[in-house]
Amino acid sequence: MTFTRFFLRRMMMVIPLLVGIVFGTFMLIRVGGLDPVGLLAGPTATAEEFDIIRAELGLDQPLWAQFGIYIGNVLQGDLGESWLSTRPVLDDMLDRVPVTLELLLWGVGIGAIIGIPIGLKAAFKPDGTFDHVSRFFSLFGFSIPTYWLGLMMLFVFFYLLRWAPPGIGRIGLMVSQPPEVTGTYLMDSLIAGDWTAFRSALSHLILPVTCIAVIAAAPIIKHTRAIAIEVISSDAVRYAKASGLPTLTVRRMVLRNAATPVLTFVGTELTGLVGTTSLIEYVFAWGGLGQYGLNAIINGDFTAVQGYVLFLALFSIFVFLIIDFVVFLIEPRAELQ
Amino acid sequence: MPSETTSMALREVTAEPEFSLWQRIIGLTRRSPTAAVGLGIILFFGMLALMAQYLMPHEPELVYAERVLHPPSSEHLFGTDGNGMDIFSRVIYGARFGFGIAIPAVVLALVIGIPVGLWTGYRGGMVDEALMRFFDGLRVFPSIILALAVVAATGQSLINVVIVLGVLDSPVFARVVRSEVLALRSSVFVESAIAAGNPTWRILFIHLLPNAIQGAMAQTAVRAAWAVRISATLAFLGIGIQAPTPEWGAMIRQGAEFMISGQWWVALFPGVALILLVLGLNMFGDGMQEILNPRSRAEK
Amino acid sequence: MNLLQVRDLETHFISRDIDNRVRIAHALNGITFDVEEGEILGIVGETGAGKSLTAQSVVGLLRPPARIVGGQVRFEGRDLLTMSEDDLNAIRGNDIAMVVQNPRTSLDPLSRIGDQLIRIRRAHSESSEAEARSRAVEMMTAVGIPDPELRLSAWPHELSGGMAQRVLIAMALMNEPKLLIADEPTTGLDVTVQAQILELLRDLVTRMNMGAIIITHDLGVVANFCDRMAVMFAGGIVETGTVGDVFENPAHPYTSNLVDATPERLKIGRKAVFGGAPPDLYNLPDGCHHRDRCRFAREECSTPPPLREVGLKHVARCHFAGELPETAQ
Repeated sequence: MTFTRFFLRRMMMVIPLLVGIVFGTFMLIRVGGLDPVGLLAGPTATAEEFDIIRAELGLDQPLWAQFGIYIGNVLQGDLGESWLSTRPVLDDMLDRVPVTLELLLWGVGIGAIIGIPIGLKAAFKPDGTFDHVSRFFSLFGFSIPTYWLGLMMLFVFFYLLRWAPPGIGRIGLMVSQPPEVTGTYLMDSLIAGDWTAFRSALSHLILPVTCIAVIAAAPIIKHTRAIAIEVISSDAVRYAKASGLPTLTVRRMVLRNAATPVLTFVGTELTGLVGTTSLIEYVFAWGGLGQYGLNAIINGDFTAVQGYVLFLALFSIFVFLIIDFVVFLIEPRAELQ
Repeated sequence: MPSETTSMALREVTAEPEFSLWQRIIGLTRRSPTAAVGLGIILFFGMLALMAQYLMPHEPELVYAERVLHPPSSEHLFGTDGNGMDIFSRVIYGARFGFGIAIPAVVLALVIGIPVGLWTGYRGGMVDEALMRFFDGLRVFPSIILALAVVAATGQSLINVVIVLGVLDSPVFARVVRSEVLALRSSVFVESAIAAGNPTWRILFIHLLPNAIQGAMAQTAVRAAWAVRISATLAFLGIGIQAPTPEWGAMIRQGAEFMISGQWWVALFPGVALILLVLGLNMFGDGMQEILNPRSRAEK
Repeated sequence: MNLLQVRDLETHFISRDIDNRVRIAHALNGITFDVEEGEILGIVGETGAGKSLTAQSVVGLLRPPARIVGGQVRFEGRDLLTMSEDDLNAIRGNDIAMVVQNPRTSLDPLSRIGDQLIRIRRAHSESSEAEARSRAVEMMTAVGIPDPELRLSAWPHELSGGMAQRVLIAMALMNEPKLLIADEPTTGLDVTVQAQILELLRDLVTRMNMGAIIITHDLGVVANFCDRMAVMFAGGIVETGTVGDVFENPAHPYTSNLVDATPERLKIGRKAVFGGAPPDLYNLPDGCHHRDRCRFAREECSTPPPLREVGLKHVARCHFAGELPETAQ
């Protein structure tokens, strides 16, 4: 099968999922007992004012018609207006995407760089000391609350040791911001060659990224180990051993066969850790998409919540699609599926 | 139907009467030290929750106005918080929220998930297909965000937190049970039960359930850990459970601002308690899965 | 000297149940047999009798919880069980080659056929890439793969079951082994392909003067392609001898059942062919393991039966071997 055909078929499969997701986010604020009209109109509004607002929001129409309007708006990129910022939700979010991606990618990337070798090493000697230690570490990472870890880091590295800047924002208050290119201070300062800004941005990144990496590493260790053990006990690897291939060759074979499933898992982690990243942003006042979404949830800004949840779902689908394509390109067997 | 489900579950777990409880615990300790330590931690917090009123030196919501933000001392072992409340007592009392949310949430998830899994696995067809697609679709939402958004949208009461966590967790159990039922559906004992003219509900709950429930049971502790974690996260964000309530997440929320001014004890102790309980549940769950699924680990 | 000597090989499955009680399945209980150069030994038995486990124990390929707890496996006089992993690797795939049960899953899914053949050659000898490649083509031709040069660049998942089986045999032959172990080499293949592959194996064994073990549950395979046979039951060998001797004068009641029961279709497909289920390996009866299923069981059978010689190199593990009433009606 050619890549284009695979691509088209895969896109076709996404469409019903997209419709479902849009319906889900549409229902999200309608199943609740919340009345957006009441929120907008305020306590002193008269019945007529209520009706006007209701008509403006299209809430006087039947549910399916409302859904039609909603889909139409979403397709045009109109996710409504946030009443917190009084700006279009989509604009609010697009501004913040690079800010969050910076945290997420560094965090999951470092988590994978730490977690994958640990998981592999544990798998090559199951039930050894290393395996037990890594298992405990992984369980610990599963159990530690993200936000609490962030707070403890701040206490130790900011309050006690004064090594890290306070957990407010992405760059020092006295440092001038580099001209915007990518939207992340680290990259932008690098592009501008502004070392002061670069150092400040980096020092602000370290703590939150460490938190995300610790939390990302836990499931990566667990799954890498499980995947590698499964590969090791597969017919193919057992046959390779029966053929007297050198240990190194067998190991390389295990690594190659584990690569695809591990890669797939890290990809799904990227989407799963959006929640973790949001909490870290909240603690470090990072000002990205995650903090925006949490604030919207906390303050009952439901247009923004709706847009945010929809956005995350689309992000997940996007990541899953990319994984599928990468797997298709590196796996000789992919055409079987 | 719900009560039947749970009683069947209990029967399954307490089968094989030839071993005393004590022997079983010793067996578990040797078989999986991880599970045993986890169980110990769970029991410890269970005891705190049950005997809170005897163990707390102070009332959890009593304000000592002249002792705001006192560091740990012999009078206040874990110090006092920003309202002048005794943190030690509040941490002990907080165990009640941990169990009080996790247990009903997991039971609800089982009560929804098991029948759904039994039915879809047994019947298959369109409904099964659609439901599995739906569960797959849910995976595109990060679980924390989904829980937060739904709780915020549907109203912020404690009951609501429990219901939302239970509903969001039920697909896990439905999936596990379904896959077991799929494997069992064509087995001899099911075929003969059908041939003997048993009604469908009997086949599902009497014949299939006891054989299909093991995997779901192995998941309960890990899912309870998830429920404790998420409910604390909700409280940390001020959703669902509000401030002076002695809930660990809410206490961490209150302590957050003091973290960068040096009053570490306000957020530290509830956080440690939270980690320990979640870790205990995860260790127990991990150990149980290891025992019930012998393929996961090599035998020694 | 025998090529392969297996003496009192014992392999157990050692596991623990939920209450931490140790549970031991006596999967192999004292297996003894020999293989000589240029002969094909057929090992036959029901599913679960321990045939494959015997092969895996010989080449040291057991998966936990299976573990060898006793006995010796001597290859050209050297004990494989006490050998270091490196020494063992020098023998496996080189002097002892294995053709396994699941050809399609046993090939490395991420390497081309040719690369796998070359890899196995170069792991055991100093040959160059080009030499190994021409050897690969030669072996693929020998096992009857059409267009061998073209097939070298095929992926395992592109092969049919029969083709994959031939590739595995070609791999086994890459290093001119002295002993070939084929574990159910023809399961899942259709009848004509089965016959071709077995014919091919027998041909190769005679031509290269190898020793070979064919593991099968198909008595027809044994009758047509093997020189000697060993009949397994409940983790033990109950009878060995030349194929002719065993088929003409089965000395063990189990063998005689086997040979008599289905003369027209010599297959033991089902778990329990006659006289009920095989004994519980976790809880083997004292004495003769075949007792509960035996038509001739007597009091003596509650003591372990001796190995009795009933003919030249024809032995059976039964108190009454050779004295049984001529196939009771």
